[in-house]
Amino acid sequence: MGDILTLLAGGFATAATPINLMWAFIGCALGTGIGVLPGLGPAVTVAMLLPITAQVEPTASMIFFAGIYYGAMYGGSTTSILLNTPGETGTMVTALEGFKMAKNGRAGAALATSAIGSFVAGTIATVLVTLFAPIVANYAVLLGPPEYFCLMLVAFTTVSAVLGKSRLRGLTALFIGISMGLVGIDQISGAARYTGGVPEFFDGIEVVLIAVGLFAVGETLYTALYEGKSESQMNAMGKVHMTRTEWRRSWPAWLRGTALGFPFGTIPAGGSEIPTFLSYATERKLSKFPDEFGTVGAIEGVAGPEAANNAAVTATLVPLLTLGIPTSVTTAILLSALQNYGINAGPQLFETSSGLVWALIASLYIGNVMLLVLNLPMVGLWVKLLTIPRPPLYAGILIFATVGVYGMRQSAFDLYLMWGVGLLGVLMRRFDFPTAPVIVGLILGPLAEAQLRNALSIGEGSWLVFVQRPMSAVLLAIVVAILLLPRFLSWRRAVRAR
Amino acid sequence: MSNSSGHSSRSTTHQTLIGVGALVAGAFLAWGARSLPAAIGYSGVGPAVLPWVMSAALLLCGGLLVWHAQRGGYRELEVGTGARRGDWCAMAWVSAGILANAALVTTAGFVLSCALCFTLAVRGLRMSEGKPAGGPRQVLVDAVTGFLIAAPAFWLFTKVLAINLPGLTATGWI
Repeated sequence: MGDILTLLAGGFATAATPINLMWAFIGCALGTGIGVLPGLGPAVTVAMLLPITAQVEPTASMIFFAGIYYGAMYGGSTTSILLNTPGETGTMVTALEGFKMAKNGRAGAALATSAIGSFVAGTIATVLVTLFAPIVANYAVLLGPPEYFCLMLVAFTTVSAVLGKSRLRGLTALFIGISMGLVGIDQISGAARYTGGVPEFFDGIEVVLIAVGLFAVGETLYTALYEGKSESQMNAMGKVHMTRTEWRRSWPAWLRGTALGFPFGTIPAGGSEIPTFLSYATERKLSKFPDEFGTVGAIEGVAGPEAANNAAVTATLVPLLTLGIPTSVTTAILLSALQNYGINAGPQLFETSSGLVWALIASLYIGNVMLLVLNLPMVGLWVKLLTIPRPPLYAGILIFATVGVYGMRQSAFDLYLMWGVGLLGVLMRRFDFPTAPVIVGLILGPLAEAQLRNALSIGEGSWLVFVQRPMSAVLLAIVVAILLLPRFLSWRRAVRAR
Repeated sequence: MSNSSGHSSRSTTHQTLIGVGALVAGAFLAWGARSLPAAIGYSGVGPAVLPWVMSAALLLCGGLLVWHAQRGGYRELEVGTGARRGDWCAMAWVSAGILANAALVTTAGFVLSCALCFTLAVRGLRMSEGKPAGGPRQVLVDAVTGFLIAAPAFWLFTKVLAINLPGLTATGWI
């Protein structure tokens, strides 16, 4: 415990230098801005900015990226409350009640409970990360390649089979992502795979290219193709203020939301969709004002899911920092930022890059305070961003997409490829294929392949190594359960019904 | 979703084509995997193993997608938001912007190439909203707007963050 406090104090010393405070502030402000704006999420913004990893030192850029990640969650809820199109998937639930509250003239209270709730949840979750991450890292050191490989399988299956509506489409997306990760020189044998003699392919396909293509370019093309006639209505903003009753109704919901969100973020069950929905259901059940849900908007229905969202987002840093396993698109891209520096995320990170990790954790405390200030008194400023008309906004996004993709390795070929990936993004969105598995597969695929080969080396070529070790056998059983249990349950229901 | 019957993502043909796309990707992976060495080193797992696994997985998924498309459509499909049919003309303008940018960025420089991309894309996006695309005057306004976004972006990224972006001249300003 004393150790942790010393390390954290060291982290604060690094994070509180003027230059790092500036990076945190720019990150938080930029994150809030892109969270408010439709069309750009935290993942694609961080992806576009990945070229800066060639110049900016690791600690500063990780603080910057984490600020963007955090800020986007705060900003996203503003859009969900004021506009009927949620900015981020995690804030979809906020939109359910928040938009109704705003429609009935209570936008101010909804914005306040979501900003303060995000702050409370974010801070509690950061304390939990501070306490638990080093412990998890200590245990994670004991894991060998077979366990790692199985953990990655768990991450793959949850990201693709649990989150989406269809396991088949989720898995197809995952396999496409892993296949894209195959392109280039094989790390272990040096064999060139799927390069077709094109020199650009020898280094593999850049994560920036796929993320920017799928999200930014895909979104722009989709908007031109299908969304031109879609109107979005905007609610009027009131004074950002909560009454005493609203405070009393909000804080238990914040705490419950945090308690639900944090555990879901730490396990590789990917993202914040499940905990936000669970929190919404809980609040609806426990509320003393159930008639307000779905009609005039209940404040608990905003407070709980918002807190759950932020707690889960913060908690995703635990598997990222301690195991090197990303469970969401944004953490996958943070992982690739670390890879650009030649830093391997994993249990040894707390030993080898202790300074960076603790500065990052300290910056989360600082970032939460910055974001509360940026989002409570200054929310009116961000709302002005929503008045930018769609055509110049999306056309402008293309310019920044070019910065990210071309800036990564100065190749015009990548810009053609970006357009192709954009088309793929349009198809995936139109036919309801989830995109997160593509990114996670692309980044985690090569790592999983390396672990698989190391594991088989340990087992001297025998695949039995995965079931002979208890931990990896348990993880494999979880994978099988995730894939088969829903099918089994629906089959049993069908049998019972007969 | 009763009103989604005419929606393009409900079409059996389109859904089948998506499945066929996955099958083609799987076949392509298999074709590439044939030339890779299968067994290397202690593990016995060479660089060809994962490609073969992915090929099989995509062939299986593609087959199931085609099968689902033929038998009552994709399961649990939430149709994509927006119009039922695409505005291909608007899409062509935006695509032209991106491709022109790819073709010109190294020769015309980042700023001018991106300003052109902006001009073409914003025109397409405006047309998709059913608004008039505008005459020469509007084109000029768009080009200037694009320039005013691209130029500061260029300076910020090349001068402050030292990211390498191509210029038209060696001055570093355009």
